[in-house]
Formats: sequence, C-alpha cells, structure tokens
Amino acid sequence: MKDEPMSRAENIRFEVKILDTGEKFSCSASDHLLRAMLALGRKGIPSGCHGGGCGVCKVKVTRGTFTSLVMSRAHVSEEEERDGIVLACRVMPTSDLEVEVVGKLKKAITRPKAFGLV
Amino acid sequence: MGVMRIGHVNLRVLDMDAALGHYMNVMGMKETHRDAAGNVYLKCWDEWDKYSLMLTASDRAGMNHIAYKGEKDADLDVFKKRIEDYGTAVEIVPAGTLFACGRALKFNLPSGHEFYLYAEKEFVGKDVGVTNPAPWPTDKKGIAAHWLDHALLMCELNPEKGINKVQESTDFMMKVFDFHLAEQVVVGPNQDIKAATWLFRTSTPHDLAFVGGPVMGLHHIAFFLDEWNDVLKAADIMAMNNVKVDVTPQRHGITRGYTIYFFDPSGNRNETFAGLGYLAQPDMPTVTWTEDQLWRGIFYHTGEEAGAFTSVYT
Repeated sequence: MKDEPMSRAENIRFEVKILDTGEKFSCSASDHLLRAMLALGRKGIPSGCHGGGCGVCKVKVTRGTFTSLVMSRAHVSEEEERDGIVLACRVMPTSDLEVEVVGKLKKAITRPKAFGLV
Repeated sequence: MGVMRIGHVNLRVLDMDAALGHYMNVMGMKETHRDAAGNVYLKCWDEWDKYSLMLTASDRAGMNHIAYKGEKDADLDVFKKRIEDYGTAVEIVPAGTLFACGRALKFNLPSGHEFYLYAEKEFVGKDVGVTNPAPWPTDKKGIAAHWLDHALLMCELNPEKGINKVQESTDFMMKVFDFHLAEQVVVGPNQDIKAATWLFRTSTPHDLAFVGGPVMGLHHIAFFLDEWNDVLKAADIMAMNNVKVDVTPQRHGITRGYTIYFFDPSGNRNETFAGLGYLAQPDMPTVTWTEDQLWRGIFYHTGEEAGAFTSVYT
C-alpha cells in the first residue's frame, strides 16, 4: 500500500531545501517529499493524488540523492526524470536535497477561475 | 430497448499489485479473471455480471475506455444507425473483443473518451445468490462496495475559444442514447454555458456525468454504498489503509448523494456514493445550479471547493 507509516528502523531524517522560497523542511528516509511538506503546512506545492498519477506535485531535484516509486509518464518523461524532474509524492530522500517547483499546473491551480470550473 | 447502466471501466494503473490491494482489500472487490496480457477483471459482491472494473498495467494513470450495457443485442443495430446519423464514426466489434462480452459498439464521445455499448456479458451472480439471500455477505474485505455506480468524465471546456465538450457530449448522450438530464451547472456572463451535467438512464440521478476542465480525462469512478453510516465506516477503512482521501464525508447538493472522494494507488480518483439521491424519472424537470452556487451544489455543507476537486484528475 502507498503512504506506509514510517518504520523505526528507517527513521533517518534529511533536510530538504525549496529553492523557490529558501525554506527548509525535514523528511524521513521512508517518507515521500510531498507528505513531509504538507505535514509542515507548506504552501505552494499542490497536493493531489499521492500516487504518482495526477502530476501536480512536480519538482526538480537539483542536489542530492533519493529513491523513487513509479510515476506517470503522462507527467514525467524519461528525459525529465534523467534531469531530476520527479513527482514529490514518489520521492524518498537518501541524502539532504535541494528542490525547485517546476510544474506547469502550478500556474493553472493558482489562477482565478473565469468560468466556474475552468 | 435502451441503455440500462454503466457496465465497466478500464483503468490504467502504475502498479498492478498496489491497485489490486486497493480494489480488493479496501473496496472489497473480487478478482474474476486475469488474461494473458495481464489485465485483471474484478466485480463487486452485489453485481451479477463478470466484471465492472478492468485494470491494465501502464506507465500512466487514467481511463482507457468506459462501457455501458444495453438491454438487447438487437438494440445495438438501432444505436449504430443513430450514431452514424449523428455524424459520429462507429464500428461493431465482435463478441469477445471486450472480454466475456457479446458484440459491442465502439466509438468516441465528442469529448474524445472511448466508449463501448454491449448488451451481453457473462453472468456470474451475486455473492448472496438469489434463493433466500442474506442481505449482505459476511466474508467481504474492507468497504465491500455494492456496485460500480457511475463515472464522471472531464471534458475540454474553453469558452473563450468556443470549445464546450460538456455540451457536445451531453447532447450526444441525450439524442443518441436517450439519456435524461437530471442536473446541470451553467456559467458565464449570460449563464448559458453548460459547465457540468448529470445524466441518467436508471432511476437514480446520474449514471454518467460530464464536467468541464482544461483537458479531457477521468475525474472519478464511483462505487455505491447503502447509506450514511456506511460512508463513515468507509472513511474509517480508508484511514486504516492509508488511502489518500481527497474530500472527507459530505453531502452533494447536486444529486443529494453522500460522498467521499479518494485516490487509488495510481492516482485515479474514486468515490463512494451512498443513498438514492432521489427518484429520477424521464419526465422530471432538470435541476439547474448557477455559477455563484456551484460549490454549494458540489459540496453542500461548506459550499466551497475542497481537496483538489477540479485541479487534479487523470
């Protein structure tokens, strides 16, 4: 199942810096970046499906190492993945990280709706 | 003659084992078949046909196709002509093209979604049988949803460019398949842009819904529960299983249903939908929600957008 609670054996924590805002948060090696950000009440990175399918939590990891779970090719191409572009809900840190928010949907989510639903 | 109900949905999943864990252990569905290509077919305990959900492993989430069940095989010929007369390309695919189904009409909705209509599917039977049945089976896991109830498809809506696939798909379903319009959301300066519609063929307010968005996709598939207490229990089970919940138990203004929105492990949105809503009949007047009360219609208690309802879908 997704979103497994962390096991005590994997409770190593790393520091993640969001370059867009300069803010830092702590993420355990067994937790995904998105949930760690949400746990701190971070704004700016949208929370969607937490399953790698919807693509709204796109970030670029510019420094550090991580492990990742399968994510939708509709949102992250192989080329992007090679460049460190990933979905935050699929990434578990194995070192301290620096990330940038890159998703094109970020703009769509923050712009006011002109016609109710769009 | 006519379309009876939603038959099945073919979803793409990123991780089949995780998907089966969700649909079997959390939703309480049962695997009924696995084909050579690795597709897995599942049914709910209160359904009698072979499957209502087909899972296909893929590198992206979303929906491959949606299928509805017609009453009689001969109806397919009538509907084929109607679709052609409407100006839409359609083909008849032979029996077995859709696993365990008879021949089927295959076409795309104006929104682009791949759609099938079949009239025959292998009979399996409900878990409780038909002779002096118990009201519910005791061996089900998790939520034990009754049946696949409806789907909501996202359709391209861009009024500034004159694109409204909600309107086009709604017209198509009403004119070709005799669907009835239970409720609608109208937006824009003249309140004349159909931004969302709820259509029915059964006696409940929706068997299919269309909502406008930037691109076409799947908003959710919904599974039926009896009533409000089942909704609370379902939410408990989701929490116990660390399911990502999008919107906690609520009432819809539109359709009056009791709802929870949540995601499967690949990010496809699911809903548990409880209650009749109201008796839907072909002669009922259409209910209209205005743009200023749109969110009251969707989430009745708060009247505000919740979760990632319009911004996230597959």
